[in-house]
Amino acid sequence: MNPADFAAAREQMEITLGFHIVLASIGIGLPALTLLAEWRSQRTSDPAYAALAHRWAKATGVLFAVGAVSGTVLSFEFGTLWPRFMSTYGQVFGTAFALEGIAFFIEAIFIGIYLYGWDRLSPRAHLLSGVPIVVSGLLSAFFVVTVNAWMNQPRGFRLVGGHAVDVRPLTAMFNPATPPEAVHLILASLMVCGFIVASVYAVAILRGRGDRYHRLGFAIPFTLAAVVTPFQLIVGDWAARFVSAKQPVKFAAMEDIARTRAGVPLKLPGLEIPDGLSLLLRFDPHATLQGLDSVAPADRPSTPVVHTAFDLMVALGTLLLALSAWWALTLARPTEAGVSRTLPANAGNATGQRWFFRGAAVAGVAAVVAMWAGWTVTEVGRQPWIVYGYMRTVDALNPSGGLRYGMYVVTVVYAVLIALTIAVLRRMRVTR
Amino acid sequence: MTYVFAAKGLLLAGLSAYLLFGGADFGAGIWHLAGRRDSRERECVEHAMGPVWEANHVWLIFVMVLTWTVFPPVFAGVMTAFWVPLSLAALGIVIRGSAFVFYKTLPQHRVFAWAFGISSVLTPFTLGAVAGSVATGRRSWLSAQGLYAGLLTVVLCAYLAAVYLTWDAHRTDGPAGRFRAYALGTGALVGLLALPGAALLGVRSPLLLISAASGLVSLTLLWRRAYVAVRVSAALAVGAVLWGAADLAPLNLDASAAQDTVLQAVLIALGAGAVILLPSLAWLYILFQREPRHQGP
Repeated sequence: MNPADFAAAREQMEITLGFHIVLASIGIGLPALTLLAEWRSQRTSDPAYAALAHRWAKATGVLFAVGAVSGTVLSFEFGTLWPRFMSTYGQVFGTAFALEGIAFFIEAIFIGIYLYGWDRLSPRAHLLSGVPIVVSGLLSAFFVVTVNAWMNQPRGFRLVGGHAVDVRPLTAMFNPATPPEAVHLILASLMVCGFIVASVYAVAILRGRGDRYHRLGFAIPFTLAAVVTPFQLIVGDWAARFVSAKQPVKFAAMEDIARTRAGVPLKLPGLEIPDGLSLLLRFDPHATLQGLDSVAPADRPSTPVVHTAFDLMVALGTLLLALSAWWALTLARPTEAGVSRTLPANAGNATGQRWFFRGAAVAGVAAVVAMWAGWTVTEVGRQPWIVYGYMRTVDALNPSGGLRYGMYVVTVVYAVLIALTIAVLRRMRVTR
Repeated sequence: MTYVFAAKGLLLAGLSAYLLFGGADFGAGIWHLAGRRDSRERECVEHAMGPVWEANHVWLIFVMVLTWTVFPPVFAGVMTAFWVPLSLAALGIVIRGSAFVFYKTLPQHRVFAWAFGISSVLTPFTLGAVAGSVATGRRSWLSAQGLYAGLLTVVLCAYLAAVYLTWDAHRTDGPAGRFRAYALGTGALVGLLALPGAALLGVRSPLLLISAASGLVSLTLLWRRAYVAVRVSAALAVGAVLWGAADLAPLNLDASAAQDTVLQAVLIALGAGAVILLPSLAWLYILFQREPRHQGP
């Protein structure tokens, strides 16, 4: 095994998954936003809602297509990069992927019907044809995450002579990590989608385009994200407590606990609160927490990466929560007669408001970075294991030489793909 | 044992569906490239592919997921040995799908049309080369057998697409005569490529006769402008080539099958899924084979 190939294979997964996870997130939320706008437009005959529905449907078309094919790359990579993982464990977690495949199939069918069916279906039937997209989008996210959860909490099999026997697919799917991971990721995807879409309209409002179309285009997705964000804080806390109980070494890397001790301090950038972590986690300042020294150095994940990523995710999540609270206060303010309740007509003019919209304009990128950071915590924190406690990532690698050249090609193709996806969406906005 | 049999059947059904629907989409991309100077041909291709290509593509995911769940060592073995052409195929799939939607959104940028067309040729070539190498037990996709199978797959896809598009064009006052000529030409080419190839590779299966007979029937039907019936006979001719190749493949699927609990779970999941999936798929195809009922926005 060439160490450069191993590093390249992991990097290739980072690039391709990092790209796909953003598209998949938007693919879950954007159809819901589109349906909401279409429903409102049918109920109110407000042209702004109709315009938004069409605009978002078009963007969904582009993003779903790119998301679908970039997801296919991942299923190829499972085999081309990690064949030994698939060979030994494919049958254990495969049922979840079969279910995901069905959900994705239904999604792809109804995306075709919805996007091309405007003039072939009655308004009501068209609206209803969008519902399976939302439902199956959520379901496929759930099924995929069960597999990642299984990699962290492998269940539903016994290993005999290197072979998985006594396989129980449902036990594997509903492993202990599934509930916190699935809820955390689905909420994160709604945040990413809401903040990203809203940020596009926040920029427009800052540039003086404060008409009803742009105000609604901002208010609908931002409200979705703002409603989800406080729940994500609670779920994130649940997920962290789960990791501390079930994967204490990962948790030690997240919080930079070098050695097992009582009264562990909470380490924040440039600040250390004595006994803080013990208090936060166990509600007891003297509680003993397991450190990285509890396992051999070869079994430890990279603390600088995991710890930094974790702090970054928490910091960005907190900032997004503050922005959400600001939005709630804006909406709660008493409105004058004749002024839209969704957003004041002079949105983006007052100084305070300008600062809010500046924050909202970067919230999309912040949410994406937070999601990447969280994914880094999950993935790098699980290392050196691909199946926690059973198979090391390095042992899953494709033994054929030259994987790194594949990674070079993938990097170039994806760099172009990312640039073009953004360019096409921007151009689409201009040529409305 | 019965579960394994059912799983093998499903795998072959999935592969066939991918070839007959996804393969036709590759072929449509080839005709899009060939007809790049003729807006009527291009529009006919875009019109036919637009709503259905994503659903057709999912058959590939179906095949891959089923293989790694039900025959994990086979999946790992093929992916390890053929990681180069399969990585190229994966990149081709990404470039193709992205280029198609980018082109649909911004048709004035011809580079997207080129990327879509070229990847529509290269992707089925690599996939076909891998399939041919697996079927003939070669370790390299650049073997004569692999290259032959890659070429044959590209021509099969182009043929299927031309046959399907003839009816689509006929229905929408498009260039049906042109696609009919393409279908006749590629149909003859398929016969010239497939039959000697099968003879050289030692295919002794009756499938060979079925394929040849349906191919001849298809040419006759095309000649007599029976555009709907030829869709069925052409699909049978192409499908029989795949089944013949599958019959040839020296894969020991029985020995690499997953445990019965897994097979059972997958079969139940797919059976339950099919109840929703198949009617939805039928609706998708029927909806876009009909004319719009009223002018929308």
